[in-house]
Amino acid sequence: MTAPTAPTAPGARVPVSGAPDLWCTYAAVRTLAWLGRAARTPHRAATVAHVRGRRNADGGYAWSRGMPSDAWATFYCVATLADLGEPQDEPERTAAWVRGVWSGEAYAMTPGQRPDVWATHFATRTAVELCGDDVPDRARLLAWLGRLQTRGGGLSWSPEHADAGDADARACFYGVAAWRALNALRPAAPPWDVPALVRWLRGRQTSSGGFTFAPDATVPCLWATYRATGALAALGAAPDADPAPWVLGQRLDGGAFTRWPGYRVADVWASFSAVGTLRTAGGVTPEVAAAVERRLARLALPTGGFTYREAEEAADALHTSAAALVAEPDAPELPELRRWLEGCRLPNEDGVMYMPGRGAEVRCTLWALAAGAFRDDPAGAGAISAWLTRLQNPDGGFGYWHGRGSDLISTAAAVEIRRLVGRPGDPALDLDGLAAFVEGCDRARHGERGHGNVPGAPATLRSGLHAARVLDFIGRADRAAVADALDRHRVRGGGWANQGARLPDLLSTYEAVATADRLGIAVDAAHVRPFLDRTASEHGASWSPLAPATGDPLADCLHRLLRRRLATPAARLPALTLS
Amino acid sequence: MSESGTPETVTRVREALSPYLGDEVATVDAGRDLAEAFGERYDSLTAMECVTAVEAAFGIEVDFVAHDVRHWFASVERIARFVDGELEDRVRLGSHG
Repeated sequence: MTAPTAPTAPGARVPVSGAPDLWCTYAAVRTLAWLGRAARTPHRAATVAHVRGRRNADGGYAWSRGMPSDAWATFYCVATLADLGEPQDEPERTAAWVRGVWSGEAYAMTPGQRPDVWATHFATRTAVELCGDDVPDRARLLAWLGRLQTRGGGLSWSPEHADAGDADARACFYGVAAWRALNALRPAAPPWDVPALVRWLRGRQTSSGGFTFAPDATVPCLWATYRATGALAALGAAPDADPAPWVLGQRLDGGAFTRWPGYRVADVWASFSAVGTLRTAGGVTPEVAAAVERRLARLALPTGGFTYREAEEAADALHTSAAALVAEPDAPELPELRRWLEGCRLPNEDGVMYMPGRGAEVRCTLWALAAGAFRDDPAGAGAISAWLTRLQNPDGGFGYWHGRGSDLISTAAAVEIRRLVGRPGDPALDLDGLAAFVEGCDRARHGERGHGNVPGAPATLRSGLHAARVLDFIGRADRAAVADALDRHRVRGGGWANQGARLPDLLSTYEAVATADRLGIAVDAAHVRPFLDRTASEHGASWSPLAPATGDPLADCLHRLLRRRLATPAARLPALTLS
Repeated sequence: MSESGTPETVTRVREALSPYLGDEVATVDAGRDLAEAFGERYDSLTAMECVTAVEAAFGIEVDFVAHDVRHWFASVERIARFVDGELEDRVRLGSHG
C-alpha cells in the first residue's frame, strides 16, 4: 500500500470543532514531561481544569463530560494531572473505580466488558503507578499476560486473539508495560518466552530503521517505532539497528516530526512517539527538544488542552461526515469533503480514523461511508470490507478498533459497514459469532428486558436497537421485541429515552426511527415532531431538552436528518451509531 | 403565576437543590443563571437531578417536551415561578374537576 498523505479538501471548507482532545492532551503533556518542561505547559491552569472536568462521580474519568468512565480516559486524565504536578481528586475513589473493571484475571475498558490488553495496560498502570493500589490478583493477571504470547513470539490483544496468531507491536508494548508496573511494585519474572518476544519485536524493524506494527504492514511509522522500541527497552533489549537516524529523518521544516514519510503534518503523536523513542535511543538533543516544544505550543488551545495539529486545521472524520450528510446532493463542497474522509487513513489500516494519524475506528468508518466516502472507489471500499473482517473478535463482536473488547455500538456499526461496502466474495463474517455476542448482551438472565452495550452492562434502548440491527443483518430480526422496546422507552410528550421513559434524547430518538424504518415498524411523525421542536433553537439543536444548544454539528446533523425523514417518509436514515 | 415565585417557594426550591449544588445555592441570587453561577457543575446530569428533586419536594411532574425545562430551570427564581404555576394549575383543575 502506498503511504497516505495528509487528507486534504482543496477548495472546500472542512469543518473543525476547535475543541481539545484528551488523547492529544495526554500526548502533549507527557512529551513535555519527558523533556522536563511540563511546568511550561501552555495554558496550564485551563488544561488542568479541562482534565479535571472529565471526572465522574464514580471516581473514573470520561473522554468527554457526561460520558461514562472508561479505563483509557481514566489513565490519560490521572497521568496528565501527575505530569502537571497536580494532586488527584480522591485517588482512592479512582482506585475503587479501576477495581470495578477487573474481570477476575485482567481488566476491561468498561464494567462488564471482556478484558483486552489496551484496558489492562491502562488500568494496571492507573492502579499501581498512579493510585498506589495493587491489582486484585497479581498471579492471575501475570498468567493472563503470559497467555497473550502468540506462537510467533509477539503479543496479542487477548489470549483468544493470541490463539489466532494476531500479534501487534502495540499489544507487545501494552502487555510489557503492564508487567513492568507489576514488576516495579514487587519483582516478577516476565511471563513470556522473552527471547522469542524480543526476536518478534526486532523483526518489525524495516531496512530503513523504522518499525511497523505487524508483519503484514509495509510502511514504517513513528507510532510503531515507539511502541516496539519501548517494549524492547522495558525488556532490557534494543533493536538490531539504531532507530535514531530514521526517527530524526522524519523531521519537517519546523524541526518537529511527522508520523511516516510523505505525510507532511507534524502532529502531536509524532512528537510523542519521536521523543519516546529517542529517550531510549541516544537521547533527545536540546535542539530537538526546543523544536518539539515550539510545535506543541502551536497545538495548545487557550481554553485548555491540546488538539492534534493547528486548531484551525484540525478537522475530524465525524464533523466532516456530518457536514457531508446534511449537504445537498449538488453542493459544490460535497466531493471534496468525501475526498478528505477517504484520505483519513493510516498507512497500514484501511478503515477511517477519527483524526488523521490516530488509528482506524469502526464508528468513524461508518459515518464516512454513510456520508458517501468511497462511493466512487470500489478498491477503497473493498479494502475497508477486508479490514473489517480482520477486526471481528473471537467472541463474535466488534470493538471500537483493532483489539478492543466487543460492544454493541461497534458491532452494530460494523454490520452496517458491511451492508454499505460488502461485495460478493468478501471474506465472510462469523454470523454465528455475531449472534452469540448479541445473546451475551441480552439481560434476560439478569431479570431485565433488553440488551446492554457489553455483557455486564444494564439494558438501554439504544443497546437494544443495536442488537436488533445486528440480528436483522444475520436474518434473525425480532420485530415484536423491538416494537416492545420502543413502547417501553417512548416518552409521552415526544421522542424516546435511552433509559426509562422520562427524558428523551436526540440520539435515542434518531436510532429509534432508523431502526423502526429498517424493520418495517410504523413511526408516528406526530410523536417525533414535538421532540424536534423542543430541541431546536436559534443556536442549533441540543442533545436533549435539558442540554444546552451549543451548535454541535453532530447534533445539528442528526436533527436535520430526522426533519428530512419526517418531511419525506420514504427517505431512510443512515443507521449511524455514536454512543 | 407570580412574577418571581413566592418567598416560601423560593426557600423550598433552594432546599431541594442544595444536595446537588451545595450550600452556595442557599445564597446565590435567585435571578442568577445557575449555569453561570455553578459552571460545569450545573450540567444536564445535575439539572436532571434537580428536576427530580423539585418534583419530589412539591409533588409535581415535569414534562420534558411540553415544558421548556431549559428556560424554567435556569435560575432559582424561574424554578419557583414554574412550581407556583404548576401548583396553581393543579388547584384550578382540581376545583373544576
